Amino acid sequence: MKTAPRQIVAFGGGGFSMESGNPLLDDYVLGLTGAERPRVCFLPSASGDADHYIVRFYRAFSAHRCEPSHISLFRREQGPGDLRRHLLSQDLIYVGGGSVVSLLGVWRAHGIDSILREAWEAGIVLCGLSAGSLCWFAEAVSGFHGEPKQLRGLGLLPFSNCVHYERAGARRQAYHRFLREGMRGGYAAEDGAALHFVGEELSRVVASRPQARGYRLDAAGQRVVEMRIATTFLGDRDAPLAAPLPEALSTAPAAG
Amino acid sequence: MSGNGSLGATTPVRRILALGGHEFSSQPPDRAVCELLLRLARERGGERPRICILPTASGDTSELIASFYSAFAERPCEPSDVSLFRLGRRPLALRDHLLEQDLVYVGGGSLLNLLAVWEAHDIASILSLAWRQGIVLAGQSAGAMCWFEAGITKSSGQPTAAAGLGLLGGSLCVHYNNEPDRRAAYLDAVGDGMPNGYGLDDYAGLLWEGEGTPSALTARRGARAYRVSSREGEVVESPLPARFLPAPAPAALREDIAEFRRIKTMRKRAGWLG
Repeated sequence: MKTAPRQIVAFGGGGFSMESGNPLLDDYVLGLTGAERPRVCFLPSASGDADHYIVRFYRAFSAHRCEPSHISLFRREQGPGDLRRHLLSQDLIYVGGGSVVSLLGVWRAHGIDSILREAWEAGIVLCGLSAGSLCWFAEAVSGFHGEPKQLRGLGLLPFSNCVHYERAGARRQAYHRFLREGMRGGYAAEDGAALHFVGEELSRVVASRPQARGYRLDAAGQRVVEMRIATTFLGDRDAPLAAPLPEALSTAPAAG
Repeated sequence: MSGNGSLGATTPVRRILALGGHEFSSQPPDRAVCELLLRLARERGGERPRICILPTASGDTSELIASFYSAFAERPCEPSDVSLFRLGRRPLALRDHLLEQDLVYVGGGSLLNLLAVWEAHDIASILSLAWRQGIVLAGQSAGAMCWFEAGITKSSGQPTAAAGLGLLGGSLCVHYNNEPDRRAAYLDAVGDGMPNGYGLDDYAGLLWEGEGTPSALTARRGARAYRVSSREGEVVESPLPARFLPAPAPAALREDIAEFRRIKTMRKRAGWLG
């Protein structure tokens, strides 16, 4: 077996699910596989395996650029019988958005959680947006239903995560509060920005929109230190890939 | 709270309706099932009872939710759905909403996923409380087996034994004579020590009202409920006497049928049809 690095690309939001006509993030993750015709498996579990979502995946990941498949955990009578074998034969596993609480519940029931860790360790690229980003981290801020809540993810990445990040948003406020209350430090991404981890280290932040950014957040006592990270816009072909260095720093005091 | 389920002095009757399999179509057996659900809900909630579907086991598919609404929209009740995969679009106070119902109906699909998602959202304890408060619990397929100690699910492809919530003792196998491989797996499982229980054909049902034995119902001629038990190493299957549920045609539909027959007669007369 090839010794490829462990890679996770966590989208704050974007890709075919949210940016119809803008394939930059999806192209980026396909490119990471290094395969000419990568095998890509879509896991729509967080949506309850919604049909319209599966159709959109097949349209975006058409057979001329990759070998697409999907796993419906609600329709196990169809699709691959041996989940582990199918998932471990992929180049890229793409996790869709929806309810992260339901996603983790269903994955546990089918043993997908441990298979995904195996896939990651075998060098299969893991990616996803929204719930499909939160799931990879030790802790996450879920704003799917009502007030933002904190929850535990699979813990492949030993950080916290927040998606659909916005300056004035309720998720950002909640994330800052959770950090002050003891949630471990971590990363946030705006819609259109993606956090690319190699191993457990953030390798770079890429974006499908020029202004989209990723952030590093840590609590320092009762203050939250929020660092905007230099981000590579994928639409600019000549731009060199930026190192994930601080672009701007801000601290939010306890009242924030 | 509405209805007779919460009167302080008396203990509400705990009711569960388990159905072997059906749809929300306009076919007579499906209409009979809907009438039964409505009747049970009215016994608790009066003239306009609240009926809520939990389509979790299907992944909250819009087909199921739409067919539920079209079946109950024309009936005197207040239908609603709790879609755990769609809460982001339509936030809802889960616990309050479920405990306000007169009947909670659980749709079919993957029993394994149903229980996993319920556990993640802490739904089981709410349903157990609802049951104790006299809210009718009902469902078909996975939505019927979930109330028992055990069932036979195809959630992982092949029929296999799986645990349920255990509000009702014993086991249940749905789609009994409709899916011979499921029935065979059930008979084996009961022989191997799964608690005794019941087999339900599509359109057969069992209704528990309080303690004791359930009454069997059928909405289609030939659809049966069976008691399945292991005696001295041998599994015995005995059909239960069932009450037939007739399907009243809705007034609007009767008009349509009459109209269709008139047209058909005219066409025949004109020689358009054979």
